[in-house]
Amino acid sequence: MSGWEGFLHGLSVAVQPDVLIYCVFGVVLGTFVGVLPGIGAMATISLLLPITYYLSPEAALVMLAGVYYGSQYGGAVASILLRLPGTPQSAVTTLDGYPLAQQGRAGVALFTSMISSFFGSFIGIFVLILLSGVLASAATAFGAADYAAMMILGLVAASTIGAKHPAKGLAMVVLGLILGCVGTDVNSGVQRFTFGQTELMDGVNLVALAMGLFGVAEVIANIHVAERTGVPPRVALRDLLPSRAELRRIPFPALRGASLGSFFGALPGTGSTISSFLAYAAERRISRHPERFGNGAIEGVAGPEAANNAAAISAFVPTLALGIPGDPIMALMLGALVIHGVQPGPLMLEARPDMFWGLIASFGIGNLLLLILNLPLIGIWVSMLRIPFRWLYPAILIFVCLGVYSVRGSSFDIFAVALIGAIGYALSLARFNPALLLLGFVLGPLIETNLRRALLISRGDAMVFLQRPIAAAFVIATGLLIVMALVQTIRRKSRGAQEAA
Amino acid sequence: MIISRRAALLGAAAVSLCKPALAQDAAWPSQPQHVFVGFPAGSSPDLLARIVTEPLAAKLGQPIVIENKPGAGGVIGIQQMLNAKDRDNTFATTINGPLTTAPRLTPNLGYDVAKDIAPVVLIATSPLVLVVAADFPADDLAGFIAAAGKEPEALSYGSVGKGSGAHLTAELFSDRAGVEMLHIPFTSYAEVTTAIIGHEIDSGFMAPSAAMQYVKAGKLKILGITSQKPFAQAPGVPVMAGQAGLPADFRAELWNAFIAPAGTDAGVIATLNSDINAILADEAVQKRLLDMGWQAAGGTPEELQQRIADDTKIWGAVLDRIDAKN
Amino acid sequence: MKRDIPDLAGGLLLSVIGVFVLVYASTQYDIGLLRRMGPGFFPALLGGVLAVLGLMIALPAIARKGAPIRIAWKEALAVLSAILVFAMGLERAGLVPVTLASVLIASIAAPDRRIGWRLALALIVTALSVVVFHFGLKMTVPLWPGQ
Repeated sequence: MSGWEGFLHGLSVAVQPDVLIYCVFGVVLGTFVGVLPGIGAMATISLLLPITYYLSPEAALVMLAGVYYGSQYGGAVASILLRLPGTPQSAVTTLDGYPLAQQGRAGVALFTSMISSFFGSFIGIFVLILLSGVLASAATAFGAADYAAMMILGLVAASTIGAKHPAKGLAMVVLGLILGCVGTDVNSGVQRFTFGQTELMDGVNLVALAMGLFGVAEVIANIHVAERTGVPPRVALRDLLPSRAELRRIPFPALRGASLGSFFGALPGTGSTISSFLAYAAERRISRHPERFGNGAIEGVAGPEAANNAAAISAFVPTLALGIPGDPIMALMLGALVIHGVQPGPLMLEARPDMFWGLIASFGIGNLLLLILNLPLIGIWVSMLRIPFRWLYPAILIFVCLGVYSVRGSSFDIFAVALIGAIGYALSLARFNPALLLLGFVLGPLIETNLRRALLISRGDAMVFLQRPIAAAFVIATGLLIVMALVQTIRRKSRGAQEAA
Repeated sequence: MIISRRAALLGAAAVSLCKPALAQDAAWPSQPQHVFVGFPAGSSPDLLARIVTEPLAAKLGQPIVIENKPGAGGVIGIQQMLNAKDRDNTFATTINGPLTTAPRLTPNLGYDVAKDIAPVVLIATSPLVLVVAADFPADDLAGFIAAAGKEPEALSYGSVGKGSGAHLTAELFSDRAGVEMLHIPFTSYAEVTTAIIGHEIDSGFMAPSAAMQYVKAGKLKILGITSQKPFAQAPGVPVMAGQAGLPADFRAELWNAFIAPAGTDAGVIATLNSDINAILADEAVQKRLLDMGWQAAGGTPEELQQRIADDTKIWGAVLDRIDAKN
Repeated sequence: MKRDIPDLAGGLLLSVIGVFVLVYASTQYDIGLLRRMGPGFFPALLGGVLAVLGLMIALPAIARKGAPIRIAWKEALAVLSAILVFAMGLERAGLVPVTLASVLIASIAAPDRRIGWRLALALIVTALSVVVFHFGLKMTVPLWPGQ
């Protein structure tokens, strides 16, 4: 079956009433839990899992997938309005989305994020239909050395985000990498930096880290400020929508982001995180006004949002076609399939085309639904900002605590939120960028294990990073990036010296 | 894992014949039961627990709440079961690791298997298969051992981390076959499979259910299975024991058991044991387990106790060997 | 006197953390070889890098004027203790009492001194979290003490 035939066949599956209803239910629920701080797709899907016993496998998977990408739409709302990202991907969205909201342009930021998400998803689907076979084999072509090299490129590219203070940005990445070391070392079984706490054996909880660094820190900093600035004025409907000039700044960043996302999403691991950071870094680099980034650049919302939604779609390729889940959420989806006796793997495309293509088609329908559902909601979300902050923040805190608890039912993780929140507040006082810490945290364990694995496999020969073509390409790209950055700095310095002379 | 397979059904029948009256509380169970699982919802141990507890709840006439407390290779689930104050209504299902190798591998374990855990019943076992890429030069176990024996670390194998079933089994195999293989740790079986298909590593031990699809797709081949008898999920795969110089008692299995905190009423344990044995004798349940790669087991609490003790000894020796190497 | 206090303090703190990680990792864990890196290799390397970066942040800050900062002590204390109370009480006291208590504690930091809105807010948030998490998401957590 070719991609297009498959997709048309899938459409016939996806529009069956029982599948369609669960698709609607999934995306609505996804949007809702995405907006709630702390509780995300991960917790919701694991709590929904027992219910899926009673559904057909197609309906179950379509519903869970709907929760997954629906929560990304909702997550953008919390990131933009309240600076409460639940995932590293939406942490990127806060970089420019939150400044826009503070300038009273929350509606514009939300509109940009939704339309770019929609755009990213459709490009993701398109790429998937065209390249489903190729994408699946890409994942087996990537070895440990290739992954290590790719992630180092991601880190180097992303650390230019804090370009005003490169040392401060890099320090956050490194601190994140160190935090990522906490827990059981896969190679030796040694407990690193756990200080005797069993709860730390699997590392610091990602949701606790994100919520502490962003949510709690932001609440502490804002209680006083928000009361002084008071309630933002009521905005007219046309102010919710971007101006024509702003609208023109959406398509190309979204297209670039979606291309990055489609490619990196198909690689198991953290494709979606890497692609949203890379998309942001790329937009900043090619922009003629890089200084606008971090102060409310439309491109800084459009690129990463398109990237992470495209990645969310292509992430299903390795999950379904290889049985390799890219992240914990995908692992849950695999579990849902296994409940129904469907074993994802190389035979799935042939053995269960209904399921595979039905799911892909449901992405299209679901994303369309999300756009229709969310655009009218923008006004309501924005008016949420008119609720006095003193009413809002205690509720935010409770939801953060419960959301973190829901991940694995651990009170320890709530204590962790308090500690991380204190650290996060201190970091924000000293103007460090917590998004970079989160990036380092997510990528650190992957870089370390892949680096060590690559050297084990090559029996200690470091040349492996240049002998494997994929790894070599990434190494060269990383080298070029560093040289470019150095040349720029030297030029700027010499120009400064000339002007001084 | 060396104990010969016992007549589980016989044991089940014996227990249900002499089902003792509950000594303390004739009304048990009078409230919802809690079963802790040390793995996330949707994982293989979680699905297995749900397959067993669903009919169990019907038999007991009380709902059973599965409490997923993932972490530390299943250890947190057991810690949480022991922390719960509600004796006689709190239980857990667990894989073998937390009861056998965890005392060696996990500092601050917080429990003593012999003193704190009351075994109820062995639910299911799973053998492992030795997997290589489809184009691997040798087609049988003897060829593999010959290739691995050419020089130390001539071949590599993947596992899901130090002390994992795959790691320990591979080390037991190397020891018995007299070869030295290079250990490459991964974090999931899917990663190991991909690395074998991509020719990054040479081999790996994994559950038959994880490998069969790739065998059918012509990407992997299986050289042998670690159980003493052929396994329905891996048809035509030769048993490794007694082959190519391996001893006849060579055997390695993962298992899953139902346990209670020590001090649980003996009558409660006996009731649970006979009910679960009856559930495991049901062919529909056996088929659901088999579809996920698990062979239904059963037996008495004492047999589970013995299995824990035996496995602790065998894997302890393998861990000694690993530690001596480094 | 010119000093960029946030960068100076932040940089020094990061340096201290870096040195601690470097020392702890290299004394407690095996460093290994390039071929077979031990569990200490990566963290020791990172600790060293962080220590250097911390100094690179702190040293220029000595001779630079920084923006003044205001630390929200009261807000931080209220928010953090609300979370701590929630963490301690959730499994012991149950969702309802602990949510009421935490909302009231958190609201101490709010500049509005009246009491009525605090009680109302506590009730609303409690009702919301019971509806969403207990009934909606079927999370297994006790509602009341002793469950």
